[in-house]
Amino acid sequence: MTEFSVIGRSVPRVDALEKVTGKAKYSVDLKLPGMLYAKVLRSPYPHARIVRIDISGAEKLAKVRGVVTGKDAPEEGVGWIRDRRILARDKVRFVGEAVAAVAADSIEAAEEALELIKVEYEELPAVFDAEEAMKLHAPVVLHPDLLKYTRTPLPYPLYRFDPERPNVYVHRPIRKGDTEKGFEESDLIFENRFSTPMAQHSCLELHNAIAVPEPEGGLTVYDSTHVMHAHKADLCRLFRLPPSKVRVISLYIGGCFGGKAGMIVPAIASLLALKTRRPVKLVLSRDEVFLDGTSRESMTIYIKDGVKKDGTLLAREIRMILSAGAYSGTTTLVAKNATFGAVGTYRVPNFKLDSYAVATNTPPTGAFRGFGSTEVLWAIESQMDMIAEELGIDPLEIRRRNILKEGEEDVCGMKTHSIGARECLEKVAEWIEWDKEPLKEEGSWKRGKGIAVGNKYTMVATRSVVNVKVHQDAAIEVRHSAHEVGQGGNTILAQIAAEEFGTSVDKIRMVFTDTAITPFDAGTISSRSTFHTGNALRLACQDVKRRIFETASERLKVPSEDLSLREGVVYVKGADKTMKVADLFSPAGFLLKGGELVGSGTYAGPLESEDADTGQGKRPVTSYAHGANAVEVMVNVETGEVRVVRNGTSFDMGQPINPKLCEGQMEGGLAMGIGGALYEEMVLSNGEVVNSSFIDYKCPSSLDVPTCGDVKSMIAAAPHQEGPYGAKGFSEGGLVAVAPAIANAISRATGVRIRDLPITREKVLKMLRSITGTGKEVD
Amino acid sequence: MSSKQLIELRVNGEIHEIVVEPRTTLLHVLREDLGLTGTKEGCNSGDCGACTVLIDNHPAVSCLTLAIEAQGKEILTIEGLDQQGRLHPLQQAFIDHYAVQCGFCTPGMILSAKALLDRNSHPTEEEVREAISGNLCRCTGYVKIVEAILAVANDQQKVPI
Repeated sequence: MTEFSVIGRSVPRVDALEKVTGKAKYSVDLKLPGMLYAKVLRSPYPHARIVRIDISGAEKLAKVRGVVTGKDAPEEGVGWIRDRRILARDKVRFVGEAVAAVAADSIEAAEEALELIKVEYEELPAVFDAEEAMKLHAPVVLHPDLLKYTRTPLPYPLYRFDPERPNVYVHRPIRKGDTEKGFEESDLIFENRFSTPMAQHSCLELHNAIAVPEPEGGLTVYDSTHVMHAHKADLCRLFRLPPSKVRVISLYIGGCFGGKAGMIVPAIASLLALKTRRPVKLVLSRDEVFLDGTSRESMTIYIKDGVKKDGTLLAREIRMILSAGAYSGTTTLVAKNATFGAVGTYRVPNFKLDSYAVATNTPPTGAFRGFGSTEVLWAIESQMDMIAEELGIDPLEIRRRNILKEGEEDVCGMKTHSIGARECLEKVAEWIEWDKEPLKEEGSWKRGKGIAVGNKYTMVATRSVVNVKVHQDAAIEVRHSAHEVGQGGNTILAQIAAEEFGTSVDKIRMVFTDTAITPFDAGTISSRSTFHTGNALRLACQDVKRRIFETASERLKVPSEDLSLREGVVYVKGADKTMKVADLFSPAGFLLKGGELVGSGTYAGPLESEDADTGQGKRPVTSYAHGANAVEVMVNVETGEVRVVRNGTSFDMGQPINPKLCEGQMEGGLAMGIGGALYEEMVLSNGEVVNSSFIDYKCPSSLDVPTCGDVKSMIAAAPHQEGPYGAKGFSEGGLVAVAPAIANAISRATGVRIRDLPITREKVLKMLRSITGTGKEVD
Repeated sequence: MSSKQLIELRVNGEIHEIVVEPRTTLLHVLREDLGLTGTKEGCNSGDCGACTVLIDNHPAVSCLTLAIEAQGKEILTIEGLDQQGRLHPLQQAFIDHYAVQCGFCTPGMILSAKALLDRNSHPTEEEVREAISGNLCRCTGYVKIVEAILAVANDQQKVPI
């Protein structure tokens, strides 16, 4: 393997100093001169016609500078299918939908104004259950005009409509072989239904934006998002502004996990800013984040497997139904890409999958760390253990037998490359001492170990551009649009730049996420930044180095091929002539020849055609990261309480750029996975979120995860031939296999098999009682 | 209007005169009046700990603390922790142990840890976890945060008291 000087080293995070001193700025921290504060009036009904809105009382209030309703909002909608107006006009489709907004001198004044807005509604019948909503000729139709909406154009098949099922807006099929034949040839058939609940990302930084009207009719928006360029395009479209007049700036993001792609917050702030001609700040309350901050859809997964007695998979059928909420958002794509969780890991000769996104009168949903892989893997990895148990095969062994090997075609027809699944599985099994029985049980506590594997793909057809400027002091300025959401993207990119320039990270300056000065990037989604932005950065570095060598070659009178660069000094091969980069500049700071030392790099991810009816294609994804979790749990058979006491995670991220940051992603994924496995669930009653606070929606605290010595994060290699230095993205991956590993451990400890997340105490107790009732021993 | 009053607050060793209403929170004063935005708002209901500051060296969620209640007390925010640019050992440990990701919980987390170490210089891992259990972190899984705090405690043990 090539020796690197900075790649593969755990250098300290480049943003850590700002963050530990409280100096790091997030958009929510900004206060601009003349700034107004916005609040949003929301629908109390899950489905209703808006008969009348009277804003006169609110408008009369002193300190209120602007009130807007659906009538003021742009005609155009937002979402992949543009089905949502930023403020509802004729109808509301979920409890919490934005109906009107106010900008005032203070938040208190804006809140007071909301109380004076009178909205008359005519309630309509609503549908909350996706399977109900997707029935043939369902009586409640959320979007009678579904087919008339415009859609975001995409380079791959996605939208599929069925006039007889008017609430279904995506149907993604995958077909390989003949599953009926496969089931006939199988020794055993397993068929189960699994489900995952609605979940909230719970980023600590509340969703927020500040919109500033510019004198020439333009707009600057400080936006807490991870898809800044997509937001810019949407703002241009919504407000009919030319791209040159809209600037979106993202500062540090206080967590996103996929949850800050929605347009509603920046668009409402912009609408009010354009109306009042003043800067407007809109910050959602925590309660509002649960109602309309984008959450994870709930999913029902039906899975049928046919296996031979030795555990070999012969056929698999999966039906996934996503309750996508009232508007399509990014769940449109989740319904397609969630299927890759079922594609990347196992060899299945006969495979059939259908995934459906269904509109329901519930809060809108979208990307959530894992982008659907977490949900489908919950079903698959639970069922793999159920099969193993029935056949008397070790859960480790059944996975070994079915995991894809390098070069094999997966069920979508893509050639498997860079698969470390087996290595990850072995690593976590060894660490948890899979072969040894768990410690002796204490009192009513029972112990068990569980294992699961998982994958997370990175999507296709996305692009990143990076510009690099070399300063007179040989510092390298990287201008990029990959958001720093906490994952450490700035550090990873600084390491790549340092590697390319033969220098150290402290010589790298980051200029990031400002559409006026940083170039296009598809955004911090799909674990793509290291791969895509990283590749673009390498190209940009090579571009500017070429310019340095061209200029230096004239001065040194040697061919540029003979030059190399280290620590700001140009060296000549085989000679002791050198030249400082600084000496290429005049004292005033411009290049002696030409103006500035700048370079640019563009990386476009792969795109191959895929068949819309079968999902078959050479390259439906850019890459897969593979991994495994092994956990040990304690289950209290008297109370149903589950404690995760040990966990080993291993992921393959190709070449790790910064091992400690990789560990951080695995550890963070573990905590989020424990929450998702044991208690995180948005509870809805008639479409209304009833637990919209951190008191009622529990995220894991420091007491809910295993102690430091009982958490191990292990890196597996599996370099990717197209990744920068062999690296690939994996940050979402840390989450995907945690819940099934825990469920499998609970099952091995107690015989209790829970199919519906989260695994609450009530469910465990109920199931314990039922299996005791059937005579199975509990203690 | 008449309910407004002028109060004096001592924040990071400096005295500030501020006009507040009785219901104004300390969090609001810190962020909006004093520009000390290192103190974060995550829930405004005392559940996440992002707004934690130290009042007379006790951790307090500033979103549930009224500004008028904090009069006459010593308020410490993250901005007051370093000594003329010299980082507090906890700040350095958070950097060295990769205990920071998005950074939004970091100020409150560090201040809760400081209060712990000031009253118990030799905490066990369990005591550390207890002390920061009111500070939610959605990114790190707490492993590296706990390691950072324990590392400072272990370093302090080497110094004879």
